[in-house]
Amino acid sequence: MKPLHHFSALELRDSFVRGEVKAVQIAEYFLKRIKQHNKELGAFLKTLEAKALLKAEELDHKRAHNKPLGKLAAIPLAIKDNMHIEGEITSCGSKFLKNYKAPFNATAVRLLEAEDALFVGKTNLDEFAMGSTNANSAFFPAHNPWDLKCVPGGSSGGTAAAIAARLSLIGTGSDTGGSIRQPAGFCGVVGFKPTYGRVSRYGLVAFGSSLDQIGPMTTTVADAALAMEVIGRPCSSDATSLDFPPESYSLPTEMKEIKIGVPWNFLENLKPEMRANFAASLDVMKSLGAKIIDVDLDVLKYSIAVYYIIATAEASTNLARFDGIRYGVRSKQAKTLEEIYEYSRKEGFGKEVKKRILLGTYVLSAGFQDAYYKKAQKVRTLILDAFEKAFSECDAVAMPVAPSGAFEHNSIHDPIEMYLQDIFTIPANLAGLPAASIPSGYDSRNMPLGLQIIGPQMCDVPVLQYAHAYEQATRHLRIPPAYEGLS
Amino acid sequence: MSSELPYDLWEPVIGLEIHVQLNTKSKIFSSAPNHFGDEPNTNISAVCTGQPGALPVLNKEAVRKAVQFGLSVGAEISRISTFDRKSYFYPDSPRNFQITQFENPLVRGGRVSADVDGARKTFAINRAHLEDDAGMLKHFTTFAGVDYNRAGAPLIEIVSEPCMHSAKEAVAYATAIRAIVLYLDASDGNMEEGSLRIDANISVRPKGEKGLRPRIEIKNMNSFTFMEMAIQSEISRQISLYINNPNKNPIDLIPPGTYRWDPDTHQTVLMRRKESADDYRYFPEPDLVPLVLSEETIDELRTSLPELPHDRYNRYLSDLNLTPYAAASLINEKILSDYFEEALKICKSPRSLCNWITVEFAGRLKMSGKTLIDIGIPPVHVAHLVQMIEENRITGRIAKAVADEMVASPGLDPIAIVKQNPDYQPVGDLSTIEPLVDQVLAENPQSVADFKAGRDKAFAFLVGAVMKLTRGKASPQIVNDLLRKKIEKK
Repeated sequence: MKPLHHFSALELRDSFVRGEVKAVQIAEYFLKRIKQHNKELGAFLKTLEAKALLKAEELDHKRAHNKPLGKLAAIPLAIKDNMHIEGEITSCGSKFLKNYKAPFNATAVRLLEAEDALFVGKTNLDEFAMGSTNANSAFFPAHNPWDLKCVPGGSSGGTAAAIAARLSLIGTGSDTGGSIRQPAGFCGVVGFKPTYGRVSRYGLVAFGSSLDQIGPMTTTVADAALAMEVIGRPCSSDATSLDFPPESYSLPTEMKEIKIGVPWNFLENLKPEMRANFAASLDVMKSLGAKIIDVDLDVLKYSIAVYYIIATAEASTNLARFDGIRYGVRSKQAKTLEEIYEYSRKEGFGKEVKKRILLGTYVLSAGFQDAYYKKAQKVRTLILDAFEKAFSECDAVAMPVAPSGAFEHNSIHDPIEMYLQDIFTIPANLAGLPAASIPSGYDSRNMPLGLQIIGPQMCDVPVLQYAHAYEQATRHLRIPPAYEGLS
Repeated sequence: MSSELPYDLWEPVIGLEIHVQLNTKSKIFSSAPNHFGDEPNTNISAVCTGQPGALPVLNKEAVRKAVQFGLSVGAEISRISTFDRKSYFYPDSPRNFQITQFENPLVRGGRVSADVDGARKTFAINRAHLEDDAGMLKHFTTFAGVDYNRAGAPLIEIVSEPCMHSAKEAVAYATAIRAIVLYLDASDGNMEEGSLRIDANISVRPKGEKGLRPRIEIKNMNSFTFMEMAIQSEISRQISLYINNPNKNPIDLIPPGTYRWDPDTHQTVLMRRKESADDYRYFPEPDLVPLVLSEETIDELRTSLPELPHDRYNRYLSDLNLTPYAAASLINEKILSDYFEEALKICKSPRSLCNWITVEFAGRLKMSGKTLIDIGIPPVHVAHLVQMIEENRITGRIAKAVADEMVASPGLDPIAIVKQNPDYQPVGDLSTIEPLVDQVLAENPQSVADFKAGRDKAFAFLVGAVMKLTRGKASPQIVNDLLRKKIEKK
């Protein structure tokens, strides 16, 4: 039998259900891997040993007594630390919440637990999900398992690193401007952002309320689809949750008659290496029967500006509740009410978070709201319209996930250049579209690259179907050499 | 110069913002119980304490009550309305933003009518919308605490046009609004407990001047009496300022500010000056979808409206023949009006019942500050009392004494009170009265003659004499009839 960390989630579940391996064995195995590798990777902020072992014992007991087992039985699962597991700390990668125990389960977490997943830990992230490198975590950065000198991407960098290094087989991320897809691309794993509203946001600490979605990060598309079957359902505690029943994801391996739209004009500044990799991906899809057409998505050049206005505006109010009054860390220096507010937030928030709160407050303020916030909302509608028009001509849009592979820590100093990392991922958040990131090969440094497939709203199933077909035809998936072996 | 105008040529301009706390079972955006008076921080949830990861979900019952309010005042109900975030930092705000309806309120326009000093006036409403209430700050000696029980309670904020021109008009308007929400069973309308809160915006201007002059806001008036005092006192203050400072700029005389009414000193006290307009940075609430109401829903809510105060008022006038004053005194307090209607089921004398409820008993209870309902006199007892009067079983004078006893020992049926006290026994039987009538006639031949000669006063004297002999217990009607009969025969 191959090492457990070489299994896909589906394979491991089936193996457990067949009795070939015990849940406790699985739990101990992955917990050991985490213990061995987390220091150099910085993937997990907290390991949930006791919880995992307890659940594993429960599962072995259930299996021994022929009780029904959930869809995710015995699959090690990592939860990004901006989602609540009741009773555990949800730090959001921030000093402000380093002592905050979640008072309830996020809906997605509850659903995963009900299907017998084994929660192994809470993963590292950019503070309050703001960032593209995981370097903004208040605790420690995460590192790319393919090259520890490189960033894993962000904000779900911890989950991406954990999955890539096979410290867990399924992980959750949250995606507001690309925070699932970009790190998935950088780490050579699969990441999926559902249609806005497909997965409940209840229990996800809000950053950009009209943009956020929880989604799976996995080693295979089939595993992502499995996770989506579990978490993609309506929720009565989230008013923006879509009132559509859960879907099942049958995954064919061809793309006959499928039209893939490519916004060549928008992609004109791609580096040659990226362009070559992307063109190769298109060739694969052609060989599967797809037709490639050109679509006009020029308006997407405004995406970054629109995003950094809307997301920060929403974030400035979502983070207003962190005031030192009810929970979180209150500054010990504070003596008056004003000081509680000022010092707690000054001490509790990192630089990037403060920057975005200031920006968000500014774009909403009197005298500026029309020019910034309202204008951005109008352009957002134009972006929605552009996609709608494109989808009248094609079934899905393909783009690279990022302008390059993972870069080295501290190699980007210009904040605008950093924000531009999200140029290809942000549009799907603005338009609420389902989008998948799948490994598409490697760059000249042998760092992973990712292909992105974006579909119309509520076409989560087709997007994963195209992703699966592409994946099966290419098999770019690999375990980073340093993490292949048993030690 | 306008400021040289005498006092009574200045016109007050008043607008009221009324916050009505709805009596839904749970809060507007969370399932936590919506209930007053419990231990602090027991009626709370993740949503109304602003926990990270919590999300608002709109309470449909709150929407129904708000729509019914709009329908009751003949307002336009927005088929699509939206919610906005209103940002400001304060410990009683669990998220440091309120969720309200700034841009597209649920209710637009509307009007209410009320009697002011005998004249019927109509007041215009600008808008009404849903929003969530804040928690309550409690100050202790060395620290302050926040109770979030109230945070998230559903509020309708009702904004009037600045169309009231006296403190009395303001009270009449507010009374009418309160009556409506009581009749709709939308709220307790309790000003002391804070389920009905009124902010008054007051300015004055020379009569005939079209524009609005600078205004101030008064909060924290927890009774209509205090509200009338506060508004009147502010009106006088502003007019005096203008009169005594004829050359000063209005904006310097009346700088914008918020005052609170101090119930102990009976004064308005400055809470804070408004240096500049607050920037609340309103923007659409991304966690809530637009509220879309179908025609069916609105029609269903319209047909299920209960009887409203003005309908009841009209019914009292037309069907029960009450005077406008009597009707008005009943309808504003729904609980009293319901009491009256209960009593009416037993005793079909609306005018008399109304008088006993709103004048006789109310007068007896005035000092205690309590009502008939508070002290536990059930409507059937008042009905019995009035019935006995109408059926001539007791005199008016005896009835008053019985009423005193009912107030002293609530729960005692007046029928029983009368039965148990021989002094209250109506002397209605002829065999007892007749000899006394004969006696009086025999003893007062001059009066009999005077009456026959046309002096009605003599008759009254004769009646009085019989009543004296019966120690006031005889039925006046019977005495009257007997005397007349006997005199005629003479």
